[in-house]
Amino acid sequence: MNELALKDLLYKLADDQLILGHRNSEWTGFGPILEEDIAFSSMAQDKIGHSLAFYTLLHELGEADPDTVAFTRNAGQFHNNQLVELPNGEYDFSLIRHFLYDNAEIIRFEMLSNSSYEPIAKVATKLKGEVKYHVLHANTWIKNLGSSTEEAILRLQSSLNEALPYALGMFEKSKYEQELIEAGVYGGEEAVKAEWLQRIQAVLEKTELKLPDLASIEPKFGGRYGEHTEHLQPLLDEMAEVFKIDPTAEW
Amino acid sequence: MSLKSLDPRVTRLHLPDGEVPPMEEKPALDQFETYEAFHQKKESTPHAYAGPVHAPNEDVAFLFAKEQYSRRFPCVSLWVVRTENIQVTPYANDGENVYDILRVEAPATQSEQPEPYEIFHLKKRGKAHTHVGRVVATSYQEALQEAKNQFGDKAPIVNVWVVKSKDVLQSAEDDKDMWATTPDKKYREAIAYKVMDKITKYKEENKNTPA
Repeated sequence: MNELALKDLLYKLADDQLILGHRNSEWTGFGPILEEDIAFSSMAQDKIGHSLAFYTLLHELGEADPDTVAFTRNAGQFHNNQLVELPNGEYDFSLIRHFLYDNAEIIRFEMLSNSSYEPIAKVATKLKGEVKYHVLHANTWIKNLGSSTEEAILRLQSSLNEALPYALGMFEKSKYEQELIEAGVYGGEEAVKAEWLQRIQAVLEKTELKLPDLASIEPKFGGRYGEHTEHLQPLLDEMAEVFKIDPTAEW
Repeated sequence: MSLKSLDPRVTRLHLPDGEVPPMEEKPALDQFETYEAFHQKKESTPHAYAGPVHAPNEDVAFLFAKEQYSRRFPCVSLWVVRTENIQVTPYANDGENVYDILRVEAPATQSEQPEPYEIFHLKKRGKAHTHVGRVVATSYQEALQEAKNQFGDKAPIVNVWVVKSKDVLQSAEDDKDMWATTPDKKYREAIAYKVMDKITKYKEENKNTPA
């Protein structure tokens, strides 16, 4: 297997998880109710844990250690999609992003748990249950709030419309796409997207929310190749602030 | 008084300086209803009472119970019941058997078909109610009578909870893997933080430095 292809796959997975984990952790202490604050924080921690697992696989392939990789790169060196780097906005936006992202993430984990590259398959199998809970959490809230009050429905609908171009950007193909599919390492973005559409539609159908016509939406691509919104670099600066004061500190 | 926060998340909110307007008063009793959560630590042990959660409905109660009560210890299954759906007997004193002092009343309502009920016993005050088994009955009272017949000899029993099985939201068999990694999450345990070791070491090293 081409190592560059593997690294490309691992970087996009790990960077998505790290950046979304960091964004979601910004809700800690600010959640709408205490129990939800705890739940969201706990899932943010899971995401960062997942990124560590994938950065560790990268380290085994010769990349720098996880802390260096996470805290010392610039925005242009990150492979995450643009959806995960957007600011949290209000809770409706964070919930919609959580819903759109995790419904894709679980499909990636299901595929990867059958990957021909055994180290990835092991990690995905081990962590899949956590992502399953993240999906349950997201779907439960969307089902409940998406069919509750007029304000909730309007807010979620407008967040959904705003997030969708970025969400479609999650499925930007790697330059090694075909190679990864043929080697049985990964099922590929097209397959993930088709399954994702079915799953999010099944949830949205139980609500008052409407999925806009996807054919009319231009996906926000670029993230996988280091093109990012203006929001990523400030996030990285803040995330690495403590690390950079003393990179050798022991915790 | 104006406060400056060192938390960039707070700074970003650009909160207005000066007096914060008081929050609108909430109507009395404007809060979520309560649910009771039961968790099972491993396959071979029964479900035991973990604690209550406030939630707008059963599904959300399940999410919250998962976070509140299965974050730290191994868990293979979680049950959630609306508090209102739990029938409680009077309490006996520690060491006694509540079934001996219990007068089972005539049922207020009865179902046409017998249905399953879950029975929970409290062995000692201050401990947690634990699932002892299931009976089939047409009312709470009949279920209690049946529980006495089947499980009444397991004294001491200081209190009994009776719940219709259909009122118990149970985690799915397929969802066990949601808890597979809980034992790895040592960072959730206070014991994982060896703070005292570090403080002692620091003090040792800085003994001769004036404070």
